[in-house]
Amino acid sequence: MAGHTSAAAARTGNNPFLRFVAALSTLAGWCSAAMIVASVAITCQMIVIRFVLNGSTIWQTEAVIYLMIAATLVGLPYVQRLRGHVNVDLVPLSLPRRARFILAVITSLLSITIIAIMLWYGFEYWHFAMERGWRSDTVWGVRLWIPYLSIPVGFGLLLLQLVADFIALMIGADRPFGLEDA
Amino acid sequence: MDPLLLGGIVAVLTILVLFSGVSVAIGLLIVSAGFLIVFDGPRSLELMPEILFGKLDNFALLSIPMFIIMGASIASTRAGADLYEALERWLTRIPGGLVVSNLGACALFAAMSGSSPATCAAIGKMGIPEMRKRGYPDGVAAGSIAAGGTLGILIPPSVTMIVYGIATETSIGRLFLAGVIPGLLLVGLFMGWSLYSTWRSGDAARLGSGSYTWAERFEILPRVLPFLAIIIGVLYAMYGGIATPSETAAVGALLCLVIAVVIYKLWNPRDLWVVLRDSTKESVMILFIIAAAGVFSYMLSSLFITQSIAEWIGTLEVNRWVLMGAVNVFLLIAGFFLPPVAVILMAAPILLPIITTAGFDPIWFAVVLTINMEIGLISPPVGLNLYVINGIAPDISLRTILLGSLPFVACMILAIVLLCLFPGLATWLPNLVMGGAI
Amino acid sequence: SATELRLSHQWSNNDIRHKVAQMVADEVAAADVDLNIKIFGSKSLFKPREQYKPLSRGQLDMTVLPLSYAGGQQPAYNLTLMPGLVKNHDHAARLSASPFMEALEEKMAEDDVMVLVHGYLAGGFAGKDKCITAPEDVQGLQTRAAGKSFEQMLAGAGASIASMASSEIYNAMQTGVLQAANTSSSSFVSYRIYEQVSCYTPAGDVALWFMYQPLLINKTTFEGLSAEQQAALRTASEKAQAYYLEEAKKEDAASAKVFADAGVEIAQMTAEDFDAWRELAKETSYKQFVAEVPDGQQLLDLALSVE
Ligand code: NA
Ligand code: NA
Repeated sequence: MAGHTSAAAARTGNNPFLRFVAALSTLAGWCSAAMIVASVAITCQMIVIRFVLNGSTIWQTEAVIYLMIAATLVGLPYVQRLRGHVNVDLVPLSLPRRARFILAVITSLLSITIIAIMLWYGFEYWHFAMERGWRSDTVWGVRLWIPYLSIPVGFGLLLLQLVADFIALMIGADRPFGLEDA
Repeated sequence: MDPLLLGGIVAVLTILVLFSGVSVAIGLLIVSAGFLIVFDGPRSLELMPEILFGKLDNFALLSIPMFIIMGASIASTRAGADLYEALERWLTRIPGGLVVSNLGACALFAAMSGSSPATCAAIGKMGIPEMRKRGYPDGVAAGSIAAGGTLGILIPPSVTMIVYGIATETSIGRLFLAGVIPGLLLVGLFMGWSLYSTWRSGDAARLGSGSYTWAERFEILPRVLPFLAIIIGVLYAMYGGIATPSETAAVGALLCLVIAVVIYKLWNPRDLWVVLRDSTKESVMILFIIAAAGVFSYMLSSLFITQSIAEWIGTLEVNRWVLMGAVNVFLLIAGFFLPPVAVILMAAPILLPIITTAGFDPIWFAVVLTINMEIGLISPPVGLNLYVINGIAPDISLRTILLGSLPFVACMILAIVLLCLFPGLATWLPNLVMGGAI
Repeated sequence: SATELRLSHQWSNNDIRHKVAQMVADEVAAADVDLNIKIFGSKSLFKPREQYKPLSRGQLDMTVLPLSYAGGQQPAYNLTLMPGLVKNHDHAARLSASPFMEALEEKMAEDDVMVLVHGYLAGGFAGKDKCITAPEDVQGLQTRAAGKSFEQMLAGAGASIASMASSEIYNAMQTGVLQAANTSSSSFVSYRIYEQVSCYTPAGDVALWFMYQPLLINKTTFEGLSAEQQAALRTASEKAQAYYLEEAKKEDAASAKVFADAGVEIAQMTAEDFDAWRELAKETSYKQFVAEVPDGQQLLDLALSVE
């Protein structure tokens, strides 16, 4: 039944690379939390402007949306490190040690591949938006490469954390799926 | 290839991938990428980050972390214990009063938190040890909290209702109101069952033996005031013309953080960080699933699977209630394995046209769907509330928790049946407050 | 086997813009040139504002959308939702065939996009407590406007601008967060705004709000088709364009009828009101447009020169 709340963060052992990635992911988590707090503040500011001062609210909705997207994407590596992304671990739980290890290797490699794809095309999309000078079609007119930057950054950091998890698995610093031996 | 056959293949492969133990969100991305490469060509992969970003580009999603923060900040204070204690002092004479207090506290807490695990944790931290101390069986203690916690997504505010509202473009304000009466109905059923089982066990006399003076009872009431302030504040902001439902969530989050800091003295930065960390963790997890499920539904739509299934069901000549039964079984099974948001996002685009052509109200259906998801929260293998109980009371075995929550699952199924017989349970309040159906 | 083109749009099946797309698809199929158009309606494939990017990169073949949605990619497109630039539907049709539109089509070509069917739809104003006809009517009201240029003009008239999705207008009006809204005739009806307002100012003899909503195709994709296929698409599009214009005219009256039947007061914008708005627009949205877009003045003059 592990995998969500009960499981501890991914283990790093004394490996410097693993610890570096863990620190980076934690930093990303702080940034993500800060962006969520900023969204609370901006939304409340918007309500005050509109309801109390009857003023115009031009940029707030858009700013909050982009902050939430960035909070999500930049928060990915941190949640991965905390093993906070839910999974169905029925099959891994029921497998013997060796098979569980092999399954963990396969799922790790698949995860790394798909996130690498997201990083690659996410970077390309971000770059395209910057080259073309795309802006949002609002009065505020945000240069879109700024919010889009969260795609390569978020997936890049997630990829790093996934690679670190894979290394931890291979060198035995962490157990397959973070599960205790049955 | 026939889109229906293709749909079947997608379903089977998705199940296989998700069962491998990969994270749900990443699994959905893997399946989507695989089918897009094969059927739309490798170039369609270019679109994936763009679609993922687009799915998150929605102001209403703001309310998810906000309603989670509301619950988490209050849960980190002794507010949950206060609430629970107040109810206990008043209900102690009733045999089985402690379970009833716990369920009542869960229901009240659910009116502040948008997520079920948060509700479960807030009340369970105090409730489970207390019940066990007083001699309630482990199964009853764990089961009632696990089930009571699920009310978090039925009694407004609710993260799943927000996600449903976004996926189906139904009014979130209306959806919230629709959950109120069914939520109370469920609380009633849960309490009824608890009282009955206590009475039947023959331990009634022993279990009702706490005693408090009237002075003690009144003395604790002021400590429930912050709760009322938050609930009334949020309702007033939402329905009183101050803010849209999504904006209200931020007001609620701020209100709860302020109350936690000012009234409950939660001013140690470390404690505040724990609140933020847990909220961020749960929100990011949910939002990533939402984004990935968005890519998945793009794939289903691009392969014309969604459209073909809707058309195919339309041509079936079955009784609408047989259809509703089938839909419920499907949701129930999906809920066993997947967290609520994933089920809603993948199923809503396919199910909604079916439901509306069969003449069912989408608001009513949201409630039925949510109760199905509640069952999923306390069933293995992915039952978020089970993890929470496991964290609070690691020495209670999973088997005991499951057996303890089984009667509550029966209550939920009964509630679904009642909703089918009397759809007004869900639709009456929103229609009363917000006018005729839209 | 037959070539398949994918067309994405945001509208429901009984919307005029879906019917235009369906008409082109049916005509092309009837022409028997091995060409199929598969329609993904009701935003089942892409979100409304996310159609232009894949279209311009050739990941989507066709779409029907308000061109101003892509104003962030080509600022010149903001002229296709500019207050007071179009007076009525016939004027809109003349604009579609003018050097102004040719200039815009050059911009589209830069993004590898071309027009198959031209068409404008009109819209109006709705007020929760009062009628909105002249600029002074919006003073101090929380207003939701469709489109950047309208927001600039309404802000110039002293309205407070609240930005929200059109799907949120209904609830925001109901709870009083919003007191006025400006959007297309069809959106007013499909979101049942008539249940929440006391007065509606539909597009009539003069209307302020016109939005260019063409059927577009990726240029490279089009050029990759055979000569017969291209000809069939062109013929179908011509037919659809005539239909689009006819239906667009009916739309405004139909929306007014829905509002009137719901007991909502119907107000008319006079020629003087229109001129007052236009003067205001010149000082606000036109000015800001010209400041933002390098060849903005030239494009604006081209548009204004259409009789
Ligand atoms: Na709730
Ligand atoms: Na489950």
